[in-house]
Amino acid sequence: MDVFTIAIWVVTIVFLIVSLVKDKAKTKKALKMALGMGKGMLVSMLSIIFAIGLIFTILPPEEIAKFVGNQSVIVATIAAALIGTITLVPAFIAFPLVGTLVGAGVSVVPAVAFLTTLTMVGVVTFPLEKKEFGMKFTAVRNGLSFVFAIIIALVMGVII
Amino acid sequence: MSILKKLKGNIFLVVVIAAYIVMFIVRPDMGVESIKNSGYYIKEMLLIMPVIFILTALLDLWLPKEKVIRYLGKDSKAKGIAFSFILGSISAGPVYAAFPMCVMLHKKGASIRNIVIILSSWAVIKIPMLVNEAKFLGLKFMAIRWILTVIAIIIFSWITAKIVKDKDLPTQIPAHIGPSLNRDACMGCGLCVKHYPEMFVMDGKKADINKEIDPDPEKLKQTIDVCPVKAISNQGYS
Repeated sequence: MDVFTIAIWVVTIVFLIVSLVKDKAKTKKALKMALGMGKGMLVSMLSIIFAIGLIFTILPPEEIAKFVGNQSVIVATIAAALIGTITLVPAFIAFPLVGTLVGAGVSVVPAVAFLTTLTMVGVVTFPLEKKEFGMKFTAVRNGLSFVFAIIIALVMGVII
Repeated sequence: MSILKKLKGNIFLVVVIAAYIVMFIVRPDMGVESIKNSGYYIKEMLLIMPVIFILTALLDLWLPKEKVIRYLGKDSKAKGIAFSFILGSISAGPVYAAFPMCVMLHKKGASIRNIVIILSSWAVIKIPMLVNEAKFLGLKFMAIRWILTVIAIIIFSWITAKIVKDKDLPTQIPAHIGPSLNRDACMGCGLCVKHYPEMFVMDGKKADINKEIDPDPEKLKQTIDVCPVKAISNQGYS
């Protein structure tokens, strides 16, 4: 658990105790609401998780790295951005991997495109996001995030 | 709900299950590997989601609407943007952890623009992640990417708010606990009131719900079954 996760736990537990002291019925209601939210999202979350597990096996990060490293910068950037969109690699794997790539002389442009779409754009989280925020919001947010991920990558290529 | 409807509502789950079945037939070893890989994410979910749900529910009940509007609403301007960035950056957990929180904040009056900022910074700008990035890719790389990402989020959150309006988001059923009653179907037989007088009252010729109490699930279920026109349903919590 990183320090932020612990902090959220601590804040929430303190909040919960204060709430309990102030208003028992309200707190009970909050806990019921939390349980309801959890039930409502559980199926979607499990779908996302098992989809990620599957994608991770079909598209292992090392294979992605090998593939991206062998292409021209333009193809590599678009491919990296697309792969980043469909997969969700944990940061502790993604950063060392990209670090090795850049260290091996691969252009930073595809590396940045991959890192940015990896977290900001999500195909697997799309159905859940759509359910919570509607189609228009989800499509616009993910679409713009993708475009801007490529722009960020290109600008970084110029600066660095 | 018919099975077909249920399948349609969970189409993504169906696709995932089908993919696993195919995988286990074609490459059983890779199927096992996929399940193993999912383990990490399950752990990640269990570590953070319970607390996110509790925090969201507590904030939902205690956070005054005016405060949300003042700090994250349409007229919160630069202050709202800064506040959204901080909120997203100090968070923890995967991006979907931000969904219930953002839905709650939007319901309370946060603007679309600030919701996009919170979601996006929740996804990309995490302080532990930044430390990790600096370690493997260098401080300069991390800093430049961070600055560019913040600028990009400021721009595309503004564009999103121009395209997407509040009415495009699903209308939130107010979070409520217990049953709901379809007054159009109710024929005023009074059986529910007889069965569960603490929960149901007669309001003129039709039944109504006494909102003040927490339902007893068993008693409520019996009352739902007893209603001749099936006007009562237990939607639970939204």
